[in-house]
Amino acid sequence: MRAASAEEGLRRRRRAVRLAPYALALPAAALAVVFAYGVVVGVLQGFGIMPSLGMNAFTLDYYAQALARPDFTASIGYSLYLSAVSSAIALAGGVLLAWALTTMRARTAVRMASLQVPILTMHALVALAVAFLFSGSGLVSRLLADPAAQSAAQSAFSVVGDPSGWGIVAVYAWKEIPYVAFCTVTIMMHVSGTLGEAAAMSGASPARSFFSVTLPLCAPAAVQAFVVVAAFSFGSYEVAYLLGPTYPKTLPVLAYMEFQDPDLVNRCYAMALNGITTGVCALTAAVYFIAARVQRRQEGSRG
Amino acid sequence: MNASDQPNLYSRRSFLKVSAVFGASAALVSLVGCGSQAPSSSSSAQGELDYSDWDAVLEAARGQEVSWYGYGGQSDRNEWIQNTLIPRLKENYDITLNLVGMDINDILTQLSGEMQAGVGDSDGTIDFVWINGENFASVKENGYVWGPFVDYLPNYRDYVDGTSTDITVDFGNPTEGYEAPYGKAQIVLWVDGAKIRDTPRNPDEFLEFCKAHPGQVTYPEPGDFTGTAFISCLIAGVVGKDVFEQLSTMTNPTEDSVRAIIQPGLDYLKELKPYLWKQGTTYPADSNTVAQMYADGELVFNMGYGGPQALVDKGQLPATTKAFVFESGTVGNTNFMAIPANAPHKAAALVAINEVISPEMQLDQYKVLRNLTVLDMDKLSSDMRQQFEDVPLGSAEVSASEKLKVRVTEASGQAIPVIEQLWRTEVAGN
Amino acid sequence: MARRKGRGASRAAARVLVAVQLAIVVVTLGVMAVWSFADAWPWPQLAPQAWSLRGYAIVFSGSSDGWPSLALSVGIGAASSLVATVAGAMGARAVCCHEWRGKGVFRFATMLPFLIPGTVFAMGVQVAFIRMGLARTVPGVVLAHAIVALPYASALMIDVVRAQGTRLDDAARLLGAGRVATLFQVTIPSLAPGLLSALSMGFIISCSQYFLTLLVGGGKVRTFALAMFPYVAGGDRTIAAAYGVIFMVVTLAVFCVFRLLLRRLSWNADDAVLYE
Repeated sequence: MRAASAEEGLRRRRRAVRLAPYALALPAAALAVVFAYGVVVGVLQGFGIMPSLGMNAFTLDYYAQALARPDFTASIGYSLYLSAVSSAIALAGGVLLAWALTTMRARTAVRMASLQVPILTMHALVALAVAFLFSGSGLVSRLLADPAAQSAAQSAFSVVGDPSGWGIVAVYAWKEIPYVAFCTVTIMMHVSGTLGEAAAMSGASPARSFFSVTLPLCAPAAVQAFVVVAAFSFGSYEVAYLLGPTYPKTLPVLAYMEFQDPDLVNRCYAMALNGITTGVCALTAAVYFIAARVQRRQEGSRG
Repeated sequence: MNASDQPNLYSRRSFLKVSAVFGASAALVSLVGCGSQAPSSSSSAQGELDYSDWDAVLEAARGQEVSWYGYGGQSDRNEWIQNTLIPRLKENYDITLNLVGMDINDILTQLSGEMQAGVGDSDGTIDFVWINGENFASVKENGYVWGPFVDYLPNYRDYVDGTSTDITVDFGNPTEGYEAPYGKAQIVLWVDGAKIRDTPRNPDEFLEFCKAHPGQVTYPEPGDFTGTAFISCLIAGVVGKDVFEQLSTMTNPTEDSVRAIIQPGLDYLKELKPYLWKQGTTYPADSNTVAQMYADGELVFNMGYGGPQALVDKGQLPATTKAFVFESGTVGNTNFMAIPANAPHKAAALVAINEVISPEMQLDQYKVLRNLTVLDMDKLSSDMRQQFEDVPLGSAEVSASEKLKVRVTEASGQAIPVIEQLWRTEVAGN
Repeated sequence: MARRKGRGASRAAARVLVAVQLAIVVVTLGVMAVWSFADAWPWPQLAPQAWSLRGYAIVFSGSSDGWPSLALSVGIGAASSLVATVAGAMGARAVCCHEWRGKGVFRFATMLPFLIPGTVFAMGVQVAFIRMGLARTVPGVVLAHAIVALPYASALMIDVVRAQGTRLDDAARLLGAGRVATLFQVTIPSLAPGLLSALSMGFIISCSQYFLTLLVGGGKVRTFALAMFPYVAGGDRTIAAAYGVIFMVVTLAVFCVFRLLLRRLSWNADDAVLYE
């Protein structure tokens, strides 16, 4: 082989190696671009930019309108409350469930049934089941009813449309506790099996080894799962629509109501509401990013 | 390093098996996908079609697939369409009707999305829509509907009274031929006659009724048609039929002008709150939920556009069910079918609509679904008229004449959203 | 001694917790299953008075879209999970095995659908898809579902690829295998557990989408979730429950198929444990 073509071949191979990651990343990047495009188009509509209607002027009017809504504070407060409570429950419950599965060295079947089955279930179906159980004529209400009581089903105890939204929180808890557990249990089992054992060997009590060794190492994964759950529950439509009260409505439900107005200009208003929702989620995204950094640094140190 | 590498498990065969499964599924998807996008034959040729020539329309419609979009939550209506209308259209005209059940708000969102994206003349997805009221008002105003088309329909010319305001005016909006009538409806109320003896006849008696049965009465959240109609009945009872009917001709309602008319009604609804289900702090989202709660016994009072007869016949409600109307009035309306401007199969839509308003189909709908007909009795043959009259009145039905006696015209399509918004801020928001 | 007792106590407590979780899952799904067979279940009966298969009959009859929507859901689920997994796997390979500029941005971008609500995406992208001709089409819905499944697939695959590394591929190449042969006989099989995990996750996500399918598919692409929702929202409870049971059975069945494949193609037992 002559020197010139060997060099050329080397150069070509180097270029291929340099381009390889970009080529590999292309499909995922394409999907991400479509996603970003959709979100950006939406956000721009919130600023009044709708080229199809000839509206090209940037304006904050729609955001002002959205913020000035009489029910806005109630709506965003309600959304935040639901999201915070259900995510907190999911985090605590999920870590606890992961601990329980790890400690009892659960068999695959048990893990499947307790984690995978809830993850498989659609949110809307969980809402349906919660209504079956806890509505005024639900199973629990029948169990608690006085057998000698008169005909009517008790409306005092009904989850549907309850202003406290406890039904919505229950649905999210049912779905997200297993999700957080799923995200954490793998690491927890790994850590518990290796470092946890090591700690026990060195004389730490189970509680001590859990809190000082296992939990800190699982924390980034758990926090990431928490952030995903928080962002999801804040922006979710189906459950709040099915079980939510007349007032206040959550932000996504409000946005979709406005979106459905046949007057196209109203879409700008709807997208302004969506923009606010996105803003809140962006904050949680920032938290995620930081947690991811911490995890990467951790991975780096573990080697 | 994991010593138990078993590369044989990974033969190309097992990998190919897996990918074959996925390839098959992906192929299935594209096949189903192609199947669901029915080839719209001759949609481009429709531009030149002379719609006033009914024979040409029938010819163009032959072999076409047409989609009827409308609210899908009424299973008996869906069943009737599937079992009666669809086979008939296929047999007589070689048209395949697809019934698409969707909430009207979602239908309009899709239509306006298509309009926003500039989806043109015959490239839309919706062929005709079950629509009326404020929804029709907004699509007509925005120019989303095609027409006027009612004069192309032989059954409309022959059997419908085109001069009656029931047909030409929809919630205060002139239809101008852009909508064909489908059925008539009026709000009817019912209770179980075995448990309730005295039925309320006006808002004052209704308030007393709610006080006597606290927590066992409610209505769907306005926004839902039945909910809006029910509060309209109560408001009309409070302010008086004539005052309320001013709303039906309002073309540019503002919150203030509407509030000026209905304020006493809103005050009444606020007064009613503490005696309602959950003290009126929340309301069921739609009429289906209220119907379920009524069937469960959680509520003792129900309302609706149809009447409970069909459910009593099926045994889902007791035979002692008693239906009635307020003497102070209940609102009624006509509902319609409209064709979007970008409908891909306009000829087939016309044929299908024509069939829905044929005497045979209207009679059948009256028999099976208790839909009041939109046809003019005088224009029908005496034989047909007799068949209508022969349909027996069920035990849980209010006679047509009684309903018409207390019929109140609903508020105009533009005023309805204002009423709903006022309810939300004044009644629900507090 | 005390330590062992402590261990025993915590294990007992753990068992109780897991039992409670299982009970909750069983009761919730059980009540739905019972409702699906109930014809009449008036207050205050604790068990249905009349049983019937009416719910299932209606789901599969002509008047609702039972079979076609189920087939469509399965097909769309398979296609979108495939797209998301392949994209995620390739992206994971790029992230883990190469150094390049924009890696951090890329990683973050693929996680975006986790963090920005699907409702915002759906409402924003509807018009764009209509203009691109993707709205109301099956490929459009597949694309939309793939996008929301991407972060899950990405996260899973990054874990898997990092754990595997490139040592096996390098070994194969060194031994003289061509690129394609390496890909099909070494790389993909070694990543199979993660791939199958990502595929099953993507499938589940796709089947559960309602709002996104409604806005992008425009009522024309009627998946099972779309056919089910009106009943769940307030229609006939028997029919809604029947839809629910069928949904659970089908997704569980597909999931079990994935797991069986995972078992058979497992490189070693540890991996199987890690990636379920």
